[in-house]
Parts: sequence; C-alpha cells; structure tokens
Amino acid sequence: MSKKIIAAKDLVKWYGKDVLALNKVSFEVDDGDFFVIIGPSGCGKSTLLKVMAGILDYEGELYIKGENMRDVPAYKRDVSLMLETYAVFPHMNVFDNIAFGLRMLGKDKAEIEHDVKEAIDLVGLSGLEKRSPLELSGGQRQRVALARSLVIKPSVLLLDEPLSHVDYILQRKLMEDFKTLHTKLGQTFILTTHVQEHALTLADTMVVMNTGVIEQMGTPDEIYCKPTTVFAARFVGDISLFPGEVTSKEDREYFVKTEFGELKALAPNETELVGKKLAYGIRPEFVKIGDEARSCENKYKAKFVGHYYFGNLVECVFEVKGGVTIRATVPPETAINLRLGETYAVGWHPEDAIMLEKPSVIEGLDIEGVIYGK
Amino acid sequence: MSMKVGDMLARIYIVIIILVIYAPMIFLILLSFNTSARISFPMEGFTLDWYIGELKGYEYVSYIPVIHHWQFWESLKNSIYVSIAAGIITCLLVTTTALALRHRVFGRDFLFYLLLLGFIVPGVLLGLGNLLLYRMLDLEITFWNMVFVDVVFAVPFGLILMMARFDPDLMMYEQAASVLKASPVSIFRKVTLPLIRWEVLSAGILGFLLSWGELIRSFYVMRGVGTVSTYIYMQITMNPVTTKWFAAGTIIALVSFAALAVLGYLLSR
Amino acid sequence: MVRYTNYLLLLPGIITCGFYLVAPLVIMLMISFYKPVYPVYEPGFTPVNYINFLTSPQAPTILINTFSTTLLAAVISLILGYPFAYFLTFKIKSQKMKTYLISLLMAPFLIDWTTKSVAWIAILGESGLLNSTLISMKAIKEPLQFLFRRETLYIIWVQTNLLFMIFPIHLALNRVAPDLINAAKVLKAPPHRVFYDIIFKLSLPGVICGFIFVFVSTLGDYATPMLWAGGIQVLGLSVSSYAGNFLWPQASALGIILLVIALVVLYILLKVVNIKKLFYE
Repeated sequence: MSKKIIAAKDLVKWYGKDVLALNKVSFEVDDGDFFVIIGPSGCGKSTLLKVMAGILDYEGELYIKGENMRDVPAYKRDVSLMLETYAVFPHMNVFDNIAFGLRMLGKDKAEIEHDVKEAIDLVGLSGLEKRSPLELSGGQRQRVALARSLVIKPSVLLLDEPLSHVDYILQRKLMEDFKTLHTKLGQTFILTTHVQEHALTLADTMVVMNTGVIEQMGTPDEIYCKPTTVFAARFVGDISLFPGEVTSKEDREYFVKTEFGELKALAPNETELVGKKLAYGIRPEFVKIGDEARSCENKYKAKFVGHYYFGNLVECVFEVKGGVTIRATVPPETAINLRLGETYAVGWHPEDAIMLEKPSVIEGLDIEGVIYGK
Repeated sequence: MSMKVGDMLARIYIVIIILVIYAPMIFLILLSFNTSARISFPMEGFTLDWYIGELKGYEYVSYIPVIHHWQFWESLKNSIYVSIAAGIITCLLVTTTALALRHRVFGRDFLFYLLLLGFIVPGVLLGLGNLLLYRMLDLEITFWNMVFVDVVFAVPFGLILMMARFDPDLMMYEQAASVLKASPVSIFRKVTLPLIRWEVLSAGILGFLLSWGELIRSFYVMRGVGTVSTYIYMQITMNPVTTKWFAAGTIIALVSFAALAVLGYLLSR
Repeated sequence: MVRYTNYLLLLPGIITCGFYLVAPLVIMLMISFYKPVYPVYEPGFTPVNYINFLTSPQAPTILINTFSTTLLAAVISLILGYPFAYFLTFKIKSQKMKTYLISLLMAPFLIDWTTKSVAWIAILGESGLLNSTLISMKAIKEPLQFLFRRETLYIIWVQTNLLFMIFPIHLALNRVAPDLINAAKVLKAPPHRVFYDIIFKLSLPGVICGFIFVFVSTLGDYATPMLWAGGIQVLGLSVSSYAGNFLWPQASALGIILLVIALVVLYILLKVVNIKKLFYE
C-alpha cells in the first residue's frame, strides 16, 4: 500500500466573484507516481498545480507528505513547479537561473557547482552556462526551467503544460525524457496537459478534469476502457456516441433504442438500466467494415462519407439513417478499397460497446449537450 | 492576516506621500483667502479681496488684487499659449519618433541617445544656450523659442513613456492589417492610432505639464512679460511676499486644470 | 519603402533636436572659449574661463555643494519614492486607481514654480504651520528656522521631483511578469529574497532613470538655492549670476562644467544598468 504523498479534500478556488476555478476537488496522489491531470483549457488544472505549489490561496484541505499546507508559503513546501511560461529569469544567465533555488536553500558553493553542472548535463544544456536567456530558443529556455526545478530535488515535481508549446517530435522526445527521469529519480511527478495521448503514454494514474471538477480518476487503462461519464469518454480517446434509451433486457444484453436503430450492448454489471436514458458509445477501433462486420450483432448499412489519414491508420466516417455518423479506424489497406458515397456494412460486437448514464460530474447537464460538445 | 497589515501600511504610506506633495498647493489655495497680507498660519480671517478687491491706485505690485493686475493676466495668457503649443508639438514629435524607433533603423541607438540628450542637459543650459544661439544669429527671441525649449525637454520624457508602454503586439497588428491589403495611411489611422491613443494623449499632457510651471529654462527665453512662472519669479525677487501671490497661484492652478480638462476632452475624441 | 517612411518620421524629431538642442549647446561650447573682455566678450579661443573658475578659491566649495546637495536630494527621492512606486504597482489592484493616483501626483505641476515654493513659507516659515503647531504644543518656545538653510533645498527639491522618481520606477516594476515572481517563490525564495533578487533587480533601469532625472533636474536649479536656501553656493547659481550680468563666456564655461558633471554621473550610472532594456523589450 503506497503512501499518499498528496491528499486534497474539497479544494475551492474563486477568481474574483465570478469565476470558480476549483469546485470542491478531492483526490490523492501516491508517492512516486507519475500523475497526469488532463482536461480542456480553462478546466482548472493550472490552478490546481498552483494551489499545490503554494502560490495561490485556496479553501479546503491540502496535505503534502502528511502536513497541512494551510498557511504554509511556497518557499517552505517540498514542491517544485515548472510554469507553462517557463519564466526564466531574464537578468541571470543559465547557470544562475538553475542555481537560484539552491542558493535560496543556502547550499554551499561547491555543492551548488556540482549539482547545477549535473542538472545542466541531464537536460542537455552543456556549454550554455554563461548564456543569457534572451539568447536561447524556446526549447532551451524550457530546459533551463526544467533543470532549475529538478536541481532542488523536491519530493513532488509539478509540470504545468510542458508539452504544449513544442513540436511533435520534441513532444515525443520530452515524453521519453520525462519517463526516464521519473524512473531514475523516483520523485512524484504531476503533469498537466490537454492532449490525451500524453496522458495515456505517461501516466501511472490520471485525472480527467472539467470546469473545476474531477470527472474521473484512475489508471489510463481504466479511463480509456471503462469511462464513467460521457465527458470522460469523449475527452480521452475517440468515440462515436449516440443518445438513446434502454428499451429491454435479454439475458445479459440490453437493447438501446437510438435514432438510427436498436443497438445491443452487454450489461457492465447487475444494475437495472431498463427505461433509462443514456449515451451509447463505440470506439472506432472496434467498428468493423464489410465482411468482418457480418459476424457482428450490431450491423448496419452505412454510406462512406469521408476519412482522416493518420499514416498508420485511417479513420473512416460513415453515415447511417438520420445523418448520424459512425467512425471506424482501419489499416490503410482496408481503407483504400472504400469508395466515397458507396454503402458498406459496418458493425461491432455488443461487448465492445460502452453505456454511459452520467453525462458529466457537473450537475444539470444533459446527455445530448455533452455528446455534441459544448 | 499579515497580508492585511501590509496592505494597510501601503495605503497609509501612499496617503502620506500624497499629502506631502499636495501640502504646498493646499496651503496656497487655503491661505489665498487670508485677510492678513503676511504669510502665516493659522488664518486670521476670510476675504476675497486678494482676488477681486478694490484698486486704490497706489499700492505696490504685491498688494494689487489679482483681477486688476494686467501684467499677470498677460503672462498667464502667454503661459497658456506656450504650454498648449508645447503639448501639441511634443505629442506629435513623440508619436512620430517613437513609431519610427521601433524598427531597426540605421543609427537607432545614436538617435535614441541624441534624443535623450534633452533629458540630460540641465534646464539652465537649454535656456541659456537658446538665448546665446539667437544672439549669435542676431535673431529676436520669439514665441516659438519658448515653446521649443520646453518641447526639447519634454520629448525624451514622453519617448520613454511611450516606448515603455507600447504594446509589443502593435507591429503584429499592423502587419496583419497590411496583409489584409490596407494602405499605410489606413493602417495608421485605423490600427496604430487607436491602439496608442492613450500614450499619445499622455505625451501631450506631459508636454503641457512640463511646460506650465517651468521656470529655470524659460527664464532665459522670455519674450515680453514672459510666462506666468518667470513673471512672478521676477516680481517676487523685487517685491515683498504677500498673500496676493497665493491668489495668483490659485488662479494659475484653476486655469491649467481647466486647460488640461479641455485638452483631454478634445484629444480623447 | 518602410525604411524611407521611418526616416521621414524621424526627421521632425531630428530637426527640432538639432536646432533647439544641439546648436545651442555647440554655441555655448564655442562661447565658453571666448575672451571674457568687458563689456561682453571678444571672439577667440582661450580656456581662461575654465581655468579662472577651477582655480578660484570658491570652486571646491561650489563643486562640493553642488554634488552633495543634488545627489542627496536624488537619494532621498529614491528612498521615499521607491516604496510608493512599489505599493502602487503591487498593492493597488485596480488599474483605474493606479491611473488616478498617478494623475494625482501630476497635479502640483499645475501651479507655477514660484508661488508653489512661496507656499512653503506657510508651512515652514517662522509663523507657519509647523512652528505654530510645535509652539502651541509647547514643544518649543521660539520658532525654529526651517527655511533659508541648506535643508530647505532637500524638502523643496524632493517634493517637486518625487513624481519623476516614482513614475519610471512604476513603469519598470509594472513590466516584471508575475510569473517571474511565482517562479522565484516556488524556487524557495523567501519574500525578502523575492523582492531583492527579482523585483528590485528588474526595476533597476527605472531606478536609474528616475535618479538621473531628479539629479539633472536639481543640478541646474538656481532659483531654489537663491530664494529659499539663503543663496547657498551651487554651480547653477553661479551660472545664473554670470548670465544675469551678461558675462556670457564665464556663464557658458560654468554651464559646460555643469553639463560635464551630468554626463559623468550618467555614464557611471549607465555602466551599472543597461537602460535600453527598459525600452526595447
């Protein structure tokens, strides 16, 4: 049973009188975890990090390493934060920037020399010690910001959207670096992003946030395969969603009436769902086309209307009765045989479908609203 | 809790400093209504005599009520013309120069320091130098001397103001406009100018204010009765100091306040 | 084409500067080397004016007075003005209030110079506010002499120029990105280190700017020493006395010395901090 290094209960944060950034957020972080917070812009993830770092006031309870952080200022917390804007000090060179934290902690000169050099090598900035930040590229500045956060060896390293202003190749490299660092240093990493791939790749535990609340928390596998709300299902991984109502149940199969037909799905557990309104979802990778679709219990004729090419996979868009679209992900070999405007059989197995009762953790939202995106 | 105390102290400090800066002006206005001619505190009585009293015809300048003191009004008129002209010209020069200096023009640094020179040169030199220049060229000191002596001093200050407050995205907006096929004149009128409106306005106000109460420079380029500052300065060196001068000062304050209000209103449209 | 417009835009500024700023200084420089023959001067080239002054017995006193009073006035302005600028930037939250306060500071400029200083008599004079209050509180028996002494200079100078110290500092402080402060806090800097290492150091261009302004502003002031400080001997006063007697070469020479002093101090200060940072970035 791993220790909880961070425990938060009912965190509330108002900006002024109108903006509620954190709405009773509660969660716990295991020691040594790679914890990823994911959510759309404005959902409160940056605010959450800043509250944990100690630069924002809050209501509620926050414990780090078992100590209550109420009235504990940032410089007394064993936490480090890398800001989204990097905020590298413009009036100090690279060395002094990285050495800053150590100097504030009162370490002696020799120790500082050694640690800073180690950090510089670690992030690949060797030779740039004397440079002014104004002469560095964005990526180099980011590495300075990263190095100076790491060098003070905090128990928890917070990273605010470190992958957001960076090109794809660098994103991949950074993700590898983060993973390696995390394994090597053993500290708890908490990272925010709005890109689900980052979360799925990096996280030991992840949290999906939405306008100041936590939609779902769990391992990437749990959140991807077993989302608990429509929002979570939509935000993490692609999914085709249809609003529907459960009409009847047979054995362990439910029949869900949707706009274009009656779909079958397996009951996830023993709860009684007949009569309930819910969202029926199927992830594109489970949707089969043509011959493969014939063996599926959910089978429809659909018109091929478009596709998105991802190199290794193609996401094909099909239209069924009523203008509803279903997406299927297939290898390029399969996609190449499809002709626009032609009708094909698409289908999937009931056990691959997801049924979601709850639109979102936020009260007062309806299923259609969350499905079609607000 | 400790933050609240810090905030309180900050506010108190601000108030104290403002009081210290306003103290002379407050007393000036207050004591202009004093019945006693002697400058003293507390006030003996209340009277408007120093403003609109009767002229007996034999007093020293220091006892003539303001309303009858025609040289004073003459100098006040001069001040208004000079300061408003200085304000407008400063405004124009600062705007054009600041906009030009944004780009990497050849000799940008040199030009910048040259313009800054006006800031560094002690006022006395500016005034005296201008006087000597005109004597050498055998020209008479004109109204424009008075204006430009002030302009040359206000422009560096206004430049610093404007450039420090320029929106770094301004060039970006201008480029966006030119991509949308706007002509340079249109870009200036519809994009640049609205965005720097406030800075332009403050440059104008700055020019006005720095010129209004100025004495040191203006002294040497006096024409006629001179500006209000130089006139009163000359009078006070030769006449006793009485309450009458407070009345004069209050009028001066009122007039400039009104001029500023009008200037601000006009420029903000 | 853009280049040409730029040069065109710069032209008015350069012409104005050239004629009303550079030319006068050049003329002054020229005249300072003229022969000081009564009644006015005779064209020529002689360093006699400089030598006469620098070797005169009053020169050391004058120079020391000039330096000490103006530098001290600038330092006092800095000490009083920095906290104001700091509180204005960081403790006053609403932008409206900030603008309002700054414009409040400008109001004393609405009055002409002379009557403004005359008003000080009402406060510092023998029958002024301070003395009257102190006497009525029985703290002193005889009125104290606040005016017509060296210290009056500081009071008047600081009060007049405080705005010009506050404003550049406020501008510089305003440009300190909040995230820099956040970063420092998170890097374990206690509040006083956050202030010193980050805020103060980044505000230095503004501090230098304000310091230079106040210093230069007081450097050439002849009126205040003459009227209110009992004619204390400072260089500005010397310049004006010579000028008042139409002794142009001597006045010019002293004026140039004044300018040299200003430039030297400016140079030293600029070595400390690069002012361009305040404007270009």
